[in-house]
Amino acid sequence: MSPDRSTLLLADDDPTIADSLAPFLERAGFHVLVVSDGVSALEKAQTHHPELIILDVLMPRMDGRETLRRLRKAKIWTPTILLTQVGEASERALALEEGADDYLNKPFDPHELLARIRAVLRRARPGERSLSAAWLLTANDLSIDRRARRATLAGETVELTPKALSVLEYLMTHSDEAVTRERLLEAVWGWEYPAGTRTVDTRMAELRRALDDDPAKPRFIETIPGEGYRFIASVHGEG
Amino acid sequence: MFKKGWVNLLLVFLPLAAGVVAFILINLFSQSVPPFLVTSDFGILAFVFGMTIRNLGTVVLILGILVTALFLFFYNRSLRRHEQTQILIDDVKQEAEQGRRRFLRRLDHEIKNPLTGLRAALVNMQEVQSSVDRQRAVENANYAVERLTRLLTDLRKLSDLGERPIERTQVDVPDLLQDVVDAAHVLPPYRGREVNLLIPKVPSPFPMITGDRDLLVLAVYNLVENAFKFTCATDSVEIRVSEDGRAIVIEVADSGAGVPTEDLPKIFEELYRGSNTRSTDGSGLGLALVNRIIALHDGQIHVRSSQEDPRGTVFTIRLPAAKKGLVLLASN
Repeated sequence: MSPDRSTLLLADDDPTIADSLAPFLERAGFHVLVVSDGVSALEKAQTHHPELIILDVLMPRMDGRETLRRLRKAKIWTPTILLTQVGEASERALALEEGADDYLNKPFDPHELLARIRAVLRRARPGERSLSAAWLLTANDLSIDRRARRATLAGETVELTPKALSVLEYLMTHSDEAVTRERLLEAVWGWEYPAGTRTVDTRMAELRRALDDDPAKPRFIETIPGEGYRFIASVHGEG
Repeated sequence: MFKKGWVNLLLVFLPLAAGVVAFILINLFSQSVPPFLVTSDFGILAFVFGMTIRNLGTVVLILGILVTALFLFFYNRSLRRHEQTQILIDDVKQEAEQGRRRFLRRLDHEIKNPLTGLRAALVNMQEVQSSVDRQRAVENANYAVERLTRLLTDLRKLSDLGERPIERTQVDVPDLLQDVVDAAHVLPPYRGREVNLLIPKVPSPFPMITGDRDLLVLAVYNLVENAFKFTCATDSVEIRVSEDGRAIVIEVADSGAGVPTEDLPKIFEELYRGSNTRSTDGSGLGLALVNRIIALHDGQIHVRSSQEDPRGTVFTIRLPAAKKGLVLLASN
């Protein structure tokens, strides 16, 4: 193990997934620790201090969500990607609520996981609590109370549809990161949609109208031509 | 009205039993009635009263018999209704069980084909020598995985639709349909195929509907994609929209070969594949999804199709308008 390789902890009870993903991630330049249940993941996270944890949701002894809750309770802020289960619509929302830094729906392309790992590691501030684990996000005069599902701008409640609020939440927890429309679709909508880019753009227009954010001179959301969107204001997390 | 079992039967015969007991007691202990009350000299009412008093036991007995007969009638009717309901419930249960088995059979079929392709591709990957053959095996494996992924994704959509609430916002229908047309134009296998979109100019603006815009786009898009699949480049595909004051009617029509009559009633079933669709790509869940989405919007969908001239297929969606349309002033 070379000293500059980031260590990843991969927890998945399906040996075919772990055995195939681990060598793939090793080839991509990471050192990978593999465990097959939540309890072992919790132990390894405390003893080996990996740079990032990948948790499957359904695992024996302790499921991924409980593992994540216990990690955060123990003030271990290691960035975590949750591999959510197909067919559970509320899983995505729960993953964010429990402080996952990102999540992927199974089945996924391993390259997509790699892209997520790199993005999360780029964003990570070692030892610090990530924005994904914060209940209150603030950027200038805009804030989101994630528990109450409410956004306020200069103290006034912003009227947003649930989807638009989730888009804003995702952008704020991934601030200063170029987020593609495809990623937003996957993360917020959960399925791929026909007219997907238009679908995202329609919500973005709604969001900008509500936030009174001029796309030509954005305060909050910048369009990256041909790529997607970026939340440009500095975001602080609390709670 | 009636409870179950022997308690019910006891209750039914209680008036009769009471009548018999009353008859015996009254005949044992009753006083004789003044004779003048049983002559007709004092009028008919006095006569009836006198006879009733004189034969009180018999009257009570007859009343008991009548009430029991009435109870028996209701009891019997209730039993028959209960039986009929039970038959209906059994039918529904049986239908659900058959549906579940049918679904599993179809799912088995949909999974085993790509899985067989995948296994063959893996064997080829191990055994073939030339890089061209190996590349082909990788492509086949990827294709099989894509098919399985699409099936799983559509199954997830169907299951999600049953679990999460849909958004209800004001939806501009012409704008939504334009999005569908724009997306259909760039659909890779059908790139360049035209969709004729017909939107009336009156009433203006076109009435809104209340619903989940993304889901409605998905529904109409699935119908257009379906139309593309079963038509060739020289056929026409149209989206037409109209309103009748209460509902918005969206039609997706094509001049393709049409759907066989025997397939029409089953076309919206999950994983159903018509006799002429076996070789066509798709998860077999597209129309089931459309059906589910329209039902979630309190709408209806139906299909008409003909394989003979004038041939073609028309899917008609009716969705309730958000507000009442033009007011009806006269009618014959």
